Amino acid sequence: MAKIELQNVSVTFNAYQQKRVSLKEYLTNRLFLNSKNPPLRVRALEDINLSARDGDRIGVIGHNGAGKSTLLKTLAGIYPPTLGTREVEGKICSLFDITLGFEFEATGWDNILYRAYLQGETPSSIRGKVDEIAAFSELGDFLNIAVRNYSAGMQMRLAFSIATAINPEVLLVDEVLAVGDLAFLQKAKARMRELMGSARVMVMVAHDLEAVTEMCTSVIWMRHGRIVAQGPPQEIVDRYTAAAMALPPVEPPQPEEMPSPESPAPAETPVLEPTPQHQAA
Amino acid sequence: MFRHLSAVWTARHFLLALVKLDLRLRYKRSVLGIGWSLLHPIAMTVVFTVVFSQLFGDGNPVGYAAFALAGLAVWGFLRDAATLGSKAFLMNEAYIRQSPMPYTIYTLRTVLGQALHSCMALAVVVVLLVVWKGDIGVFVGLALALPGLLLALIAAWAVATIGAFITAFFHDMAHMLEVGAQIGFFLTPIMYRRSILDSRGLGWLVDINPANLYLSVIRDPLLAGMPTGDGLAHLGHLYLSAIAVTAVLVALATGVVGWLHKKVIFHL
Repeated sequence: MAKIELQNVSVTFNAYQQKRVSLKEYLTNRLFLNSKNPPLRVRALEDINLSARDGDRIGVIGHNGAGKSTLLKTLAGIYPPTLGTREVEGKICSLFDITLGFEFEATGWDNILYRAYLQGETPSSIRGKVDEIAAFSELGDFLNIAVRNYSAGMQMRLAFSIATAINPEVLLVDEVLAVGDLAFLQKAKARMRELMGSARVMVMVAHDLEAVTEMCTSVIWMRHGRIVAQGPPQEIVDRYTAAAMALPPVEPPQPEEMPSPESPAPAETPVLEPTPQHQAA
Repeated sequence: MFRHLSAVWTARHFLLALVKLDLRLRYKRSVLGIGWSLLHPIAMTVVFTVVFSQLFGDGNPVGYAAFALAGLAVWGFLRDAATLGSKAFLMNEAYIRQSPMPYTIYTLRTVLGQALHSCMALAVVVVLLVVWKGDIGVFVGLALALPGLLLALIAAWAVATIGAFITAFFHDMAHMLEVGAQIGFFLTPIMYRRSILDSRGLGWLVDINPANLYLSVIRDPLLAGMPTGDGLAHLGHLYLSAIAVTAVLVALATGVVGWLHKKVIFHL
């Protein structure tokens, strides 16, 4: 049986406006000068309760920066909860940031092995799947050359083919999967549907509200790192849509210390790998 | 800690595949390839032997060459494991952001790679000694040195792990370790024998140097060959100290992992 259990989970961390903390900063901080680079307390998730059992398909909706991706990463065990407890049983497959972590100097074949091992496969369990992964990626002879020679689309194809080759019990998906060209996209969508059907528990972050209503058994609406509402898909989506129409665009939550005016505003495109600052904003 | 080690064991296929890749990529596109792992310390040793064997050696250039090469191999391992290992989280950030594997496998990736690299130079020492001495005592010495290699590996993993956690918060750590390693090279009896320091009343410098312990438990039995009773007693004493230092380092590393492992991802 697969299950997900989050109890009163909060994820908070300190971020600095400038990545680098200077020696002067170290010496003067808290002594006699006010810091120009104070730590910002970021509350990425607050008091989240979530429970899912076999058969549950949970959709997570909300505006950019609401904490949806942080929730997925916390479920995957990548972000540790600052408070509360996380319990996940079952083999997890995370479909986000999949193009990260290629060994660029190694061949496509080798990278299939590394990433499969990263997902918990063993040499014996992967033996039968390697050819299937290679065939799905349609990269042919390109698999014999180093991944640094691949185009972004080819990397994405390979990453997707490997990531979706395992049989997950718990499937965590970030909807933002731009997978290669049109033909491959169709194939990828079909495979995603297949995976979603076979996984025991699925949590999906999505902006496509139609897909959420169609595929999920329950929906969570998040705002500023908190769960606003949870319930049947149609009802929550309707409430979310009504709120989005009625209100002016939602301002992202601000960390407790305001950034200085000269610091650039964090980007808000969901395809970027969010840094902690981006996630907070 | 045991749960952590079992998670590392679960990740062994991933870890070993990457260690193998690192070894292959170390000399990518070079004609001599892995041969550089052997040629580099050998070339250094030849130079040191020509220049220093009269100054620091006992008049026998082959004996001094084995002494220097073994010293360089062990020191090179400790230095690189600590300095490169402390950058392990920054180098493996992409994996860390993608998978909840235990962080220590990334420092172990560096440490294991460096260990294999240094073992090649130590193999040259063994060949040199076998040719020079022509008896099986060398293999007895090698057997006595093997637990020392294992202790050095564990200690280096612990130091690299502590260094990697600190470096994630304080990037200057990696540079500090590099400077420290440079100084350590001259303070550790690698190219000279400790008797030189003892005769000047500076033996305490060696006594307080933990790197020297690992150097001694590996190099001393290897060079001594078939051990004498006194030699064994001395080696036993060295081993006890090395085990104690390793235990302290492992305890420190365990403490650092427990303290910082929930915070480090937000600082990468």
